[in-house]
Amino acid sequence: MLISKKRVRARKNGEPGLYPVVYVSKNLREYQKEMVSKEVESLNELRNIRLAFHKVLREDMKLKENLDTFHDVFASVGEISGQFAEVRDDITGTVGNVQQQVNQLKGSAEQVQECFEEIQNTFANFQEAIENIKKCMKQIITVADQTNILALNASIEAARAGEKGKGFAVVAGDVKRLANEIKDLAGVVEEGIGGVEHEAEKMSESITASNEAMAEGVDSVNTTYDMFDEIISAADGAETVQDKITATITESREKLNEVKQSFADTEAQYKKVMAHIEKARELGTMKGSMFEDVDNMLSQIAPIIEEYENA
Amino acid sequence: MRQFFGMSQGGNLEEAAIGLSNPEFIMLISNNRQFEQHVAELEKLFPKVPSIGCIGMGYDTRIVEDGVSIIAYTEGTEVVANVLEQVSAMPVKYIHRMEQDLMKIDASSDNTVCIDFCSSNDACVLTTAYSLLGKRNIQLVGGTGDAGKVSANGKVYEDAAAYAFVKNKGGRVKTYKENIYKPLDGQYLIASETDRSNYLLGALNGKPAKQVYQEILHIDEKDITDQTFINPFGKLNGKEICIISIKAVEGGALTCYRQVNDSDVLVLLQLQDYKMVANDTIQRICYDFNHISAVFSVNCLFRYLLFSKNNDMQEYLETMSKLGSHAGLVGYGEHYNNQFVNQSMTCVVFE
Repeated sequence: MLISKKRVRARKNGEPGLYPVVYVSKNLREYQKEMVSKEVESLNELRNIRLAFHKVLREDMKLKENLDTFHDVFASVGEISGQFAEVRDDITGTVGNVQQQVNQLKGSAEQVQECFEEIQNTFANFQEAIENIKKCMKQIITVADQTNILALNASIEAARAGEKGKGFAVVAGDVKRLANEIKDLAGVVEEGIGGVEHEAEKMSESITASNEAMAEGVDSVNTTYDMFDEIISAADGAETVQDKITATITESREKLNEVKQSFADTEAQYKKVMAHIEKARELGTMKGSMFEDVDNMLSQIAPIIEEYENA
Repeated sequence: MRQFFGMSQGGNLEEAAIGLSNPEFIMLISNNRQFEQHVAELEKLFPKVPSIGCIGMGYDTRIVEDGVSIIAYTEGTEVVANVLEQVSAMPVKYIHRMEQDLMKIDASSDNTVCIDFCSSNDACVLTTAYSLLGKRNIQLVGGTGDAGKVSANGKVYEDAAAYAFVKNKGGRVKTYKENIYKPLDGQYLIASETDRSNYLLGALNGKPAKQVYQEILHIDEKDITDQTFINPFGKLNGKEICIISIKAVEGGALTCYRQVNDSDVLVLLQLQDYKMVANDTIQRICYDFNHISAVFSVNCLFRYLLFSKNNDMQEYLETMSKLGSHAGLVGYGEHYNNQFVNQSMTCVVFE
């Protein structure tokens, strides 16, 4: 804009001349300074928002990391739960093996019991045979006693027969001696049989005791077998618990994924907000240069007018 | 078009002009002692040829530190040169000249560039010039000369900005800016308590600027001015970054080589591998142009000092010569469109 000489002359005539333009430009610069001052405040606020939001984003990131940790924990629990199932399978397998062994033991014990019964039967036959032997021995003793009596009678008759009976008396004496020897031998045999019978009774008691112990063992084996069944049943119960744990983990994971999705949505929103903040910041930086341009232009008005006024 | 570069390390203008004939435009880069003499001699040698000049160091594949350099265009350009005066107070008083020159040359955005040499108040000059050029999308490249003097069309001016509209009749023109720094971190520093006339930066985020600079970089006060080679400030302007060098410490404030304004948003910058950055610039230019007639660049004095300190200046100039005819000057501040920057390289490429 060119200032006409007419206007300059007006200043010389005492009129305000171009002073109002200077006044306006001066005020515009003051307004501009005020705007800049507000802009500094506004940029500081934006900076604070940006810093605060960065903090929010950091916290959000931490939270997300924690959620990921949860995910890992669930995975670990699931894994451990799976290991638990393996342990349960191991128990069931081991118990099955043991049960098999116990079954074999049970079978062996029953065989032993059968053998014991056979032994007892055999032993009963043995005792019966001893009784028969004892009876025979008694009969032998009886026969020996009768023979002795016969020998005594024969000796008496031989004595009565005198000289003629002397030979018979010798025979009767031999018979008597023989009968006594038989009787003594029978006594020895009876005594031996008594020992055998005594030992047999002790043996019988041992066998009975062993049999009873074996029976108790078989009972224990049966009880153990039943307990193993209970263990397997309990392990199967654990499987149910494990299934429940797995179901709970699956449900928790689903919920966690929902939470994560919510966070992802929130994060997307945060990013949008951040992008707006960045854009606002970027625009703010452009305003700085524009203020500079405004000031650079405004600052020229006053000296130009002053120069024209002085011309 | 063709670009001519002539030089005399001893400051002999005639020697520098050997081989130059029928120039359409001349740029003179002289020294402080002989500037007026060189301007007059040049006008005598090539009267009526549009020219602009300043005091600085010229270069093509070699640097001329204290002599004289001539960069001239021939065969295919149309140029008009002129000057904005009283730039420290009212460059806009002469905007009409520029407006008329622009009309005279019938400039269009893709074939015309404005090259300027400024003596002072660069930011104000650029605001003023770009208020006109920006509307027509005319690109600008230039720099700050030494000693507060420039020349235009054979005349020396103080407190002025010499400019030339160079129209490439054989193809396109395009300007570039090279930044060998990148933001140190995401920390934004809001400037306040500034004094634009003294290029003073008082506070950043409400704290004394010196303290903030020291705290971020963990350096002593005595190291601040050296540290600016590695960590200058960057003024954000949208996606653009304008580098601002630190000149001195003044109390709790910092004085810079460029004005800083209240509400400017600054970041601290970190020096990158400048050889790699230069190669990237070359690749960028080669991507844009199949055939290059000439490249004219303005390199900051800080870059010259940094490269020279590392014995890389010669290598840098040879690297840039890969583009073809490359010449320019070392300035005290660089101009890129409406931006006044430090520690940068700006250039214009002629197809």
